[in-house]
Amino acid sequence: MSIDWLSAYLIYALFTVAGTVGLAQLLHLQMGLAGIGNFGIVGFFGLGMYAWGVFQVRIPWPDALGDWGSFFLSLVMAVIVSGLAGLLIGWVIADLEGDGVLVGTLGFATIMYSLALSEKRWTGGAEGMAVPDPLRTFNWGVKPMSLFWLGVMILLVVGITYYVARVHRSPYGRLLIAVGQNEPLARSLGKPTFRTKLILFALGSAGMGLVGAVFGVMNHFIRPTEIGIEVTLAAMVGLVMGGSARVWGAIVGVLLTAGLFDIVVQIYLPLPDSWYQITLPVVREIVFGAMLILVLLWRPLGVLGDMRRDKLVERLGSG
Amino acid sequence: MSLDIDRTDEAPVPPLGKRVQELLETRPGRIGVWVAALGALALVVAFWSLARKALIFGLAEEAPLALAAVGFALLYRLTGIINVAYAETVTLGAYFGMWFNTTFGWNFYLSLIPAALGAGVLSVITYFAFFRPAHNRNVGVVEMIILSFGLSIVLRYGLQLIFGHEQRYFKVPFQNPIRILGLGVPPFRVTALAGVVAGALILYWFIQKTRLGIQIRALAGDEKLAQVSGINPMAVTVLIWFIAGVAGGAAGAFYGVGASVRPLLGWSKFLYILLAVLVGGARGLRGVIVAGLGMGVLLSGLTLAIKGQGLYSEILVVLLFIIILKLRRNRMSEAAKV
Repeated sequence: MSIDWLSAYLIYALFTVAGTVGLAQLLHLQMGLAGIGNFGIVGFFGLGMYAWGVFQVRIPWPDALGDWGSFFLSLVMAVIVSGLAGLLIGWVIADLEGDGVLVGTLGFATIMYSLALSEKRWTGGAEGMAVPDPLRTFNWGVKPMSLFWLGVMILLVVGITYYVARVHRSPYGRLLIAVGQNEPLARSLGKPTFRTKLILFALGSAGMGLVGAVFGVMNHFIRPTEIGIEVTLAAMVGLVMGGSARVWGAIVGVLLTAGLFDIVVQIYLPLPDSWYQITLPVVREIVFGAMLILVLLWRPLGVLGDMRRDKLVERLGSG
Repeated sequence: MSLDIDRTDEAPVPPLGKRVQELLETRPGRIGVWVAALGALALVVAFWSLARKALIFGLAEEAPLALAAVGFALLYRLTGIINVAYAETVTLGAYFGMWFNTTFGWNFYLSLIPAALGAGVLSVITYFAFFRPAHNRNVGVVEMIILSFGLSIVLRYGLQLIFGHEQRYFKVPFQNPIRILGLGVPPFRVTALAGVVAGALILYWFIQKTRLGIQIRALAGDEKLAQVSGINPMAVTVLIWFIAGVAGGAAGAFYGVGASVRPLLGWSKFLYILLAVLVGGARGLRGVIVAGLGMGVLLSGLTLAIKGQGLYSEILVVLLFIIILKLRRNRMSEAAKV
């Protein structure tokens, strides 16, 4: 089967869109349901990416493990490290108001960025570090390897979406919504609101770390420029666009924002070549920021509005 | 007349351990403040050569932080809005000042006026264009932060699109450094510090003592009651946004002349502004000024102590302030439960 029609850029764009859907879906649990405005998504994403890279490259794994053994162990460590960071940050912010949550999560992302720059011995500093791809022993060539990781990312996102759909139908989901809508009421009914938020935040952060680690594997290179505020913005605008309280919101929203811009505009629109390097990335952020404002002012429930609201939310509203 | 006084009703003197414990429990705030002040004084005396540099450089370089924090605190306390786009008010103040300074050849002090006024007008425009409609549509607290985050992104990348990434500079003649405590400090930094102190005092007096200040505080307390009392909420709200913008714009111009003007100028300071406001804000505007100046001194002191590793000092300061925030909130929530 020939895959010549697939350009390397298209695969990469699809991969980015899939990863953004994953982040937006996890943000949906934290912000859409439990009401924790996480502005440090990129911090957990970056921590997962760097933790995987550092464990993979800097730890002298025994040869007996082979490429795949060390790869999986590093991946597990990356998830554990980001989950622990999520536990710590969650403990700091779980009983704070919106302002405290903003400063805690934003501060975490800033600290991660600074550490990526300053710890040259581990992270390679501003130049970044090259990381090995465990697929290299198969001699597949670059494009099939990228396709493989695209498949892995899509599987991961499908898994996260399945989990989110299950949460929506479970008592746990109702607890999350109760905590997000009226925390004092939920606490007065005997629900452990602090513990609920803490565990949810840690699990979401671990998931973001896993998405980040897979990003690092696919890129073959880990740099501080990969963990800028753009990652947080893309996930947030996607979620808000699609509606932050529904299961399919993150998917619809990210397809309408990152999907439309990174794939349709950048590949199929006839734009002058000189725009691609400098102008387009800046225009992308301006468009995303403007979308965030417009959607929140005119369609606060997302582009889908209140069309076919989730059954759970309807039931809570009528009951 | 008997000298025999019945002492059975009087409470016996408790043992020393209990008295100390009571003292600690009943006046935690004051004791904590004294211990912290004595500790700080001891540190300054013990490391005088380092502390001298930290005080001078920190106050001189980061004085605009206190001014910007006062503007942000006004906006936050009086309208309840956490405006992430305030970072771009600071940036735009620097750009307005630089524009008048380089294009029209205005003196730096003269170009402070268009910088402050321009940022103030811009702040009012963002209120009418985005925050007022959002308030009228009952946008929630977290959603309001996201909205201002979007506005901040649009303004910041808009500036990048127009002016590019490169750093620009004010055109100011070279001036001989002023010597304070044996260290040379550029005169602009000294004026910045003086301007910040003066501006903050004027703002404090304005909010606490004048009739308009009373109206502003009344509106923040209870909007309906203020309206019944004949206060025009619109005019007063516009005034708050304008003053906040003026403070941010002036801070931006001082930052710009101290280093360089670039699209990320305000955003790179936003986290510190937010931390200073949240940590100092519980004690009013005075607390915000102290927290802002203290943060500047701490930043430069740690940078000097860790031998030029600016990144570590930033990490440590952010961590320290978040820990303070967490500890104080814990105590507050304990009190709120009662």
